[in-house]
Amino acid sequence: MAENKKYHLTETGIAYEQARVEAAKKNPALFSELYDKYFEPIFRFIFQRLDDKEQAFDSTQQVFLIALNNLSKYENRGLPFSAWLFRIAKNELNELFKKEKANRTVNIDTVKIHDMMEEVQETKIDAYHDKIVKIMAEELEEDDLQLIEMRFFENRSFREIGEILDITENNAKVKTYRVLDKLRKVI
Amino acid sequence: MKRKITINRPGISSEEIAKRKNFDSVLKHHSGAGKPLFKKPLFLSSVLVAVLAIVTTVLVLTKNHQPAFQQSEIPTHKDTTALAEFNNKENHIPFINPPLKGLDIDYTIYKVIAENGAALQFKTGSKLVVPKNAFEDGNGKPLKGEVELRYREFHDAADFFVSGIPMTYDSAGVKYQFESAGMMEMQGYQHGKKVSIAKDKAIAVELVSTYKGTEYNLYALDTLHNNWSCLGKDKVTEKSGNKDITEVNSKPLNRQQEKMADSVSKFVSKATVEKEKKISELINSTKVPIKPKQSQHAKYTFDIAVEPKEFPELAIYKGVLFEIGAENKSFNPALYDVTWDDANLKEGTKKGENYLLTLKKGSNKYEFIVYPVFEGKNFETAKTEYDYLLKEYNNQLEIRKQKEKQIEDAYNAMIAFGQKMAKEQQKKEKEREANQFKLMDTQEKVSRLFAINKFGVYNSDCPKNYPQGAMCTATLINNKKATLQCYNVYLVDKEKNGIFTYYKNPVTQFSYNPASKNMIWTVEDGVLFWFKPEQFKDLKSGEMMTSLKMTRVEQKFANVDDFKTYFNF
Repeated sequence: MAENKKYHLTETGIAYEQARVEAAKKNPALFSELYDKYFEPIFRFIFQRLDDKEQAFDSTQQVFLIALNNLSKYENRGLPFSAWLFRIAKNELNELFKKEKANRTVNIDTVKIHDMMEEVQETKIDAYHDKIVKIMAEELEEDDLQLIEMRFFENRSFREIGEILDITENNAKVKTYRVLDKLRKVI
Repeated sequence: MKRKITINRPGISSEEIAKRKNFDSVLKHHSGAGKPLFKKPLFLSSVLVAVLAIVTTVLVLTKNHQPAFQQSEIPTHKDTTALAEFNNKENHIPFINPPLKGLDIDYTIYKVIAENGAALQFKTGSKLVVPKNAFEDGNGKPLKGEVELRYREFHDAADFFVSGIPMTYDSAGVKYQFESAGMMEMQGYQHGKKVSIAKDKAIAVELVSTYKGTEYNLYALDTLHNNWSCLGKDKVTEKSGNKDITEVNSKPLNRQQEKMADSVSKFVSKATVEKEKKISELINSTKVPIKPKQSQHAKYTFDIAVEPKEFPELAIYKGVLFEIGAENKSFNPALYDVTWDDANLKEGTKKGENYLLTLKKGSNKYEFIVYPVFEGKNFETAKTEYDYLLKEYNNQLEIRKQKEKQIEDAYNAMIAFGQKMAKEQQKKEKEREANQFKLMDTQEKVSRLFAINKFGVYNSDCPKNYPQGAMCTATLINNKKATLQCYNVYLVDKEKNGIFTYYKNPVTQFSYNPASKNMIWTVEDGVLFWFKPEQFKDLKSGEMMTSLKMTRVEQKFANVDDFKTYFNF
């Protein structure tokens, strides 16, 4: 499966970003570079889980506002800065769903469902298509759905999933395959 | 939680997303600027505890109370506006941006007949093989006739810097710095218009390099996406002789030579104009007098008052009359008896000899060619006056001729001096070129072989991480301790053949190898500043924040070689 390689950063890349964060802590106007870089990934992350495009744009702005307001608390733990932004985005979405200000939406790409079913070595994909959609809509736990969404619909690496969910890369992998195993059993 | 499912929702483009970016709004609502820490609940409760604990002290503290954060860390509106302007300007900076005005790597120009192709050799020893019919215009139409190839090479950090060609490579979001084995640019023109390399054709390049390694890839500069595109590996061979190469154009012209030719031409043209102006002034100051003629009584004459300023050649004589010329066939003698309302004189068909007389009566208007004449005593006086003036004129003419000769001599001396200077400049230019490649000649060379099917910039490069060893977070300041407003900060590590770009002051973090000879360049408003190699000794790695005092470079560089000499390349 083709992963989104744009996410990966070398140590130098992370150090470079950290320098930008430190600069923005001193002068918030310098946060613009990080805003420009991550606006699209954060928007896509949010919009994948929402139905309303305008609401997704508003929430994206909110994520960056929260990040900027809390920048002084940000500590470099050797992770890309985006991992922190994705976590803020995830929290922001949870708040929206909790307060019923937005509908939790699962945007499914049928091609990606094929990728997923190949992973579970299921060949009768078309026959189970509707069933899978129903499971995603009603039965999967939110944490499990997040894993499937990030891995298959957003093409994220296990490393990135781990960084966003604050778990290890290996743990992200194990958990994802457990969900796939669960899916295979159900269908 | 009930979830909504959407299947194959239409995608949203990056352009649409980008349009919705609004950082100003985020900055505007940023609480740091509008909500000081002392208004936050945690701070207030702390103050309350303090109040209860030490009442007396609190009275003093309250009087001298300051917010718990450093005010200077929060930008004022003015600062933010200035910074926003600085950031906005950056959007208009071209992708290839030579940082120092008037200083760039010169192109060498080759003229190639498209249908014949050519094998060319550059001064470094690099070879270019252009196949027959290798060019087409913007519509894909094959080109014939002379095509101008503009070619230049870049071999070290100084070349990379002055050219303004970015040496940063973005590989899937990761930034690398290029360490180069050599870079070249080739552009094609016909009649001043850009041309392309024809489909299915390629120009073979043997780029001379002192870097033998095979770890280098070939990259093409993609000016559309502002990044480098990896084209794969180039091929490295030992430098071959040039027996198989016939240089088509024996006199390639570089930009420096073009500039020189242009300035010599301008110099000659200016000197010529000045010379002609001076001679013209001399001629105007010495005019030959009009020889007075005696009136022929058989012809009609008019007595017209002459305006001395308008006709100085006539004003010197007394009693001048205007005789109707023989060319006025239709002159009616009855007109001679008319009392005219107005009479006007203009220059005639023969300058200094005849005049155009206009006579008006009511709505009637008559024009005649008239000649100045004198009668009786007036003629004798005019003749005497003329003889005197003619003598004066001849004297003046002699003086004028001498002055003209002096002007001619001065002009010729000036031209000779200009030509001598141009020759000396040419000699210096040749020496400069020879020196430019002297270093390369002393090193073992290889050829890096590749073929290009588009004009542009090509780089035999190896993406490298930033230098390691020490890290510094710094603000670059000038000698007045003002922060430099500059976009890129360039670290030059003499051990590496590249330039490491850090972005951007104020507050730039950079890594460097303390064991190397390093220097930093940056440019503010076209002015070059540098951090000298010896200053690196005073840097303490890992220091939270330091100020680097940059030295303004006052030297004016006539060419890239001057630049390299100054920075000891």
